[in-house]
Amino acid sequence: MTFSSNEMDEIVGDFIVESSESLESLDQKFIGLEKNPRDSVLLNDIFRSVHTIKGAAGFLGFQQMVDVTHVAEDVLNKLRKNEMTMTPGIMDSLLRAIDLIKTLLKNIKERNNRQEDTAPAIAALKAILSGASVSAPVEGGYPPVAEGQGRPIVEASEVEVFVEQEMSRARITTGAEIPIASSSAPADGSSMHRRSTDVMPLGSKTDEAQPKEKEQSIRVDIERLDSVLNLAGELVLSRNRMMRLGGKLGEWNAEAELTAQFDEAIAQLDLVTTDLQLAVMKMRMQPIAKVFNKFPRMVRDLARQNNKEVDLILRGEETELDKTVIEEIGDPLVHLIRNAVDHGIETPDERAAKGKPRAGVISLSAYQEGRHIIVSVSDDGKGIDPEYVKTSAVEKGIVSKEEAEKMSHKEALNLIFIPGFTTAKQVSSISGRGVGMDVVKTNITRINGTIVVDSEVGKGMKIVFRLPLTLAIIQALTVEAGGGVYGIPLSTVVENLRLAEDDIKSIEGREVVYIRGNVYPVVRLSNLVSGRSLKTSQAAEWKYVVVTGIGEKNVGILVDKLHGQEEIVLKSMGEYLKGTEGIAGACITGDGTVILILDVAGLIESVSRRQQKNLTDKAGFI
Amino acid sequence: MQPKNESDSKKEVLQLVTFRLGTEEYSLDILSVQEIIRHMHLTKVPRTPDFVEGVINLRGRVIPVLDLRKRFGLPSEDRTNETRIIVVEVEGKTVGLKVDAVSEVLRLPAASVEPPPSIISGVESEYIKGVGKLDGRLIILLDVGKILTRSEKDALGNVIVATA
Repeated sequence: MTFSSNEMDEIVGDFIVESSESLESLDQKFIGLEKNPRDSVLLNDIFRSVHTIKGAAGFLGFQQMVDVTHVAEDVLNKLRKNEMTMTPGIMDSLLRAIDLIKTLLKNIKERNNRQEDTAPAIAALKAILSGASVSAPVEGGYPPVAEGQGRPIVEASEVEVFVEQEMSRARITTGAEIPIASSSAPADGSSMHRRSTDVMPLGSKTDEAQPKEKEQSIRVDIERLDSVLNLAGELVLSRNRMMRLGGKLGEWNAEAELTAQFDEAIAQLDLVTTDLQLAVMKMRMQPIAKVFNKFPRMVRDLARQNNKEVDLILRGEETELDKTVIEEIGDPLVHLIRNAVDHGIETPDERAAKGKPRAGVISLSAYQEGRHIIVSVSDDGKGIDPEYVKTSAVEKGIVSKEEAEKMSHKEALNLIFIPGFTTAKQVSSISGRGVGMDVVKTNITRINGTIVVDSEVGKGMKIVFRLPLTLAIIQALTVEAGGGVYGIPLSTVVENLRLAEDDIKSIEGREVVYIRGNVYPVVRLSNLVSGRSLKTSQAAEWKYVVVTGIGEKNVGILVDKLHGQEEIVLKSMGEYLKGTEGIAGACITGDGTVILILDVAGLIESVSRRQQKNLTDKAGFI
Repeated sequence: MQPKNESDSKKEVLQLVTFRLGTEEYSLDILSVQEIIRHMHLTKVPRTPDFVEGVINLRGRVIPVLDLRKRFGLPSEDRTNETRIIVVEVEGKTVGLKVDAVSEVLRLPAASVEPPPSIISGVESEYIKGVGKLDGRLIILLDVGKILTRSEKDALGNVIVATA
């Protein structure tokens, strides 16, 4: 059989996509299997997935992948025929083989022709096949794993202990309940199995009960979806224009009959376009499970590495979010979960001494609340001590001693988001280097989300993200300044106030307003727009201040007029003007004109930058 | 901007869109031109270099428009009935170029194009691919890619100055 290179590329492309998906779901299945080692349905499922990959790899001539999958398949075959029993050691070797396959797949994808050292992984599995002790392979040098985290190197003498205790070490559940007892919770394994196939709508549905179910979905390039979304947006604008024309028909003394019919037609168009827009938006929605699914495996590995016992509870994986939001929250969540395992959850002995159950619980949940999605990560670990955070921040020179003393509990906790801050006394391989929480904050802010931290010393901590359902359509407040109309994302608007020019005070050369005892720095939008700083000549005129805030930081934006609230489709200004300071993007209004949307996060940043430069400024109102 | 062999370029015929800026005639490779539109309502974008006229709504896409006169340091002139925006697409960037008037599409043998002299009426020669001669007319061939990348660097410089 010969193929042209184009056809071959296509086949390899399909192979990469399909294999990536089944590898992703394999992690889930292995974790499920670890909880319930005798689940033959699950074992068969895993066996089939590996077998499929092996077959395709063989057909395409990826020999290294065939070698690894072949021996993994042999081990799985023995397991499913009950010729062998699953032990954590075997599980480790299998998971490493899966990681190796992922690396090999990545190499194929990147066409880098790199050869991986497959020998240790294969040797480990072969040793299992020949019935040798599982302790040996753990020490071998394994190729870097997909996630790129360090692997625990365990001394051979320790392994025996591990093997016996393993089942109670890292128990991971996806259900709502936490099994209090140890590994023997047979009911949960099957529910997990069902879930892991549910959340992979494009993956291979190979449940025993429904072996040949046809896929009811197709893959569509995201660019095509975006162009449909764009066109739907255009249609909405045309509809708006039609509606305005319809309104004018009456004024132009058109026949009543015609006007009525025209109105009816517009009403119909209105309905259809609204539905169309919604439908297109829905196409971009994906279940958050796409992100959540990688965590059970991650928590298992981290817990083992840190000698901790951790239960991970996932809730609301079916909650749907826009694709772009999904892509942005992955990294922040990984970070928070690492933190929770590494710093949050205590060792089993410490926990026992405190009267807590030996296994810590990390729960990850998502649900919809109106136009927002709430995602939270909480743990029942040692929590963060605000006093400790304060001392630490003072030591690092992030805040002054006086400032720290004045800080509330909440303000102190928010210090963890400042770049360079870390409470870890020791830098570990996975966290504590002081990079991270600020990145979390930046990522979440970028997608118009907010973060709330809550912690009680000794009881644990909770971090809540409040995310927009979609980035495509946002609510904006339209304002006028310096002769132009601008939009401010409504999610950042705290309040609007009318004030006179002399309500604006000056502290050490910086303009501020007092609102109910709070001091806010003020930015004049007209100056920002013109790039010059003109003091307005009409001093007595009424002004409006839009108080905007992200997290705990606020800034007042002074504008000439408030227009109103509008639902807008945020568009980028293109490659050429990307990154223009203070502007997040543009949108097209009902009459076809373009208005610019302010980047509030950027604005606040530039205000506090200026503040930092102004060292004499002691007011400290960030 | 496509690379050509010397021998090929002798026989090749260039298709160009020509336009006017002041008294000079300029041209762009027709393949880089997406469309030509009349001047429309512009929205000013703050904190951009002065040659960025603003952004327009091109059937639902927001694209920036550059004033080529200002870009080349020529004195600016009021908009007339002839003013056009040439929408070009280069290296994934779509940008409108405001010009005094669009004249015609013409074919020019590649052989009649000469390398640019060092200075042509204020326009820096690095933006110029060459000068074409046709029936006694001199037509300046612009390198759109360079106009866009260079101005981007300038724009960046301006922002740094503004924030400092």
